[in-house]
Amino acid sequence: MHMDETVDQESAEFSNAKQEMDRLVYDSLKSREVKPNAMFARLSDLTKSTGTVKKVVNWSRTNSLWPLQFGLACCAAELMDFGSSRIDAERKGYLLFRGTPRQCDVMVVAGWVTKSMVPEVKRLYEQMSKPRYVIAYGECATCGGPWWESYNIMQGIDQVLKVDVYVAGCPPRPENLFAALMKLQKKVGGVVEG
Amino acid sequence: MIRMAITRINVGPIHPSTHGVARLVVDVDGDTIVNVEPHVGFLHRGVEKLTETRMYMQAPPYMEKLDYFAPMAYNDAYVAAVEAAMDIQPSEKAKYVRTILLELQRLASHLVSIGTLCNDLGQMFTGFMWAFKDRDIILDLLQEATGSRMFYVNMRLGGLHSELPADFEEHAITTMNYIEKRIGEYESYIEKNTVFMERMKGVGVLSSEDAKALGVTGPVLRASGINYDVRKNSPYYAYSKLYFNPKVMLQGDNFSRYKVRMMEMRESARLVKAAIKAMPDGAATGMPVKLRSPNAVNKVSVVSREVPRGECMMYLVADPQKPYRLSIRSPSMVNLAAISHIAKGARFADLFSIFGTLDVVLGCVDR
Repeated sequence: MHMDETVDQESAEFSNAKQEMDRLVYDSLKSREVKPNAMFARLSDLTKSTGTVKKVVNWSRTNSLWPLQFGLACCAAELMDFGSSRIDAERKGYLLFRGTPRQCDVMVVAGWVTKSMVPEVKRLYEQMSKPRYVIAYGECATCGGPWWESYNIMQGIDQVLKVDVYVAGCPPRPENLFAALMKLQKKVGGVVEG
Repeated sequence: MIRMAITRINVGPIHPSTHGVARLVVDVDGDTIVNVEPHVGFLHRGVEKLTETRMYMQAPPYMEKLDYFAPMAYNDAYVAAVEAAMDIQPSEKAKYVRTILLELQRLASHLVSIGTLCNDLGQMFTGFMWAFKDRDIILDLLQEATGSRMFYVNMRLGGLHSELPADFEEHAITTMNYIEKRIGEYESYIEKNTVFMERMKGVGVLSSEDAKALGVTGPVLRASGINYDVRKNSPYYAYSKLYFNPKVMLQGDNFSRYKVRMMEMRESARLVKAAIKAMPDGAATGMPVKLRSPNAVNKVSVVSREVPRGECMMYLVADPQKPYRLSIRSPSMVNLAAISHIAKGARFADLFSIFGTLDVVLGCVDR
């Protein structure tokens, strides 16, 4: 008898929670912009803010750039080196390479982009939370590099995505990625127009 | 027993543990893998076709980007095929210098393999950090010798692009002593970890008959108990004059594949020191790169090299001034194909430890 009551209580709590969740989902879907991740969509409205709020928002965005753990080719080897102990990117707050695009705001395109990879890269970009930034790392992502004449290569990722920072080199040294992220920080913080 | 329906899981092409952009379609029955189907071609850029439009010595930069963890090994295989087509013999000193640089490259490549394996197993990020720290030290050494950190393009017809710097030998011996000490530290750190051992021992077994039938090469083949190493079976460069033993393990599981690489690293460090001690006098510099190289005299040349991931073959049909057809036998491609055999019957979580120990580089698979 006693146990049944507890179960009833629990199931009631559960159904309440479920209703609450349904309501939240319904609300977020009802809003004008239908986004897969409604919470991040609302946060991105902060871009329209002004004055002190804008300063605070920019400051916090500048100091928490989360790159996506996403390597394509050779440059990804230098990307791994960027995360390892010699360069130690964590001391500047860059290194939280995440496995899922939904937690990231920087995409480092490291390597050549073939025609069969373009839809995948685009999809990853669209899954990232706003505001999102793209770094074209290395010759291949910048302009096609040595594969310029190949029949299966995009001649630069900027044909499909808007690129914020270009890094030259084949492959660029990991220090160059550090410099690129510092440049991106200036751009995010509104120091440099871009 | 309740049998569950077979579920199809898609892994990749972008996944933190695929070492590149491979797509694996996995059929699972509960947690047990029924079938794995690798899909490749996401990095295909037509290397073999591109070389047909280039002069002989314009192609090495393409060869280096095949396997970006061991670029020099592939560059060497291509240049050796061209040398065979032109009937050019590298000088005695050049043979030794190439041996030293190739062994350094093998060390750097195996360190990446072990570092990323630790990373794939989830909770061993220290192994990744250590391996990349030591890889950087070896890359510094290679940079000293060639002027570049990752893509060297230092092989020339009949030798190398320059002599070794004056203090290279001393630096190399100091570094090798350090690396040998570090390998002991790796072993004591990794092999005392219970989680690592549980996920490695007896998982992903490849028997020696299957290994032969599937055509796998390199550490994967030697871990299955077959003593085949191109450096020993058909020696090139200084390998016939230096004493070394190919490392063989008998079990054929994940652990033996990892352990063979560990033992090979120790052997490589020893080989570098021995080659430096036995290095003859003379010049190592080859022909400078000009648009016109000597005409090819042999129509067909086949060269086989033991690159860190296995046996790489270059099949070159020669026109006088440029390759008519170049075909590359990539060890990564064959080793990747073996995954559908090895992973059958394993748990889904073990798929990535198996993938990690096969040590596949996708740039080389897709070409």
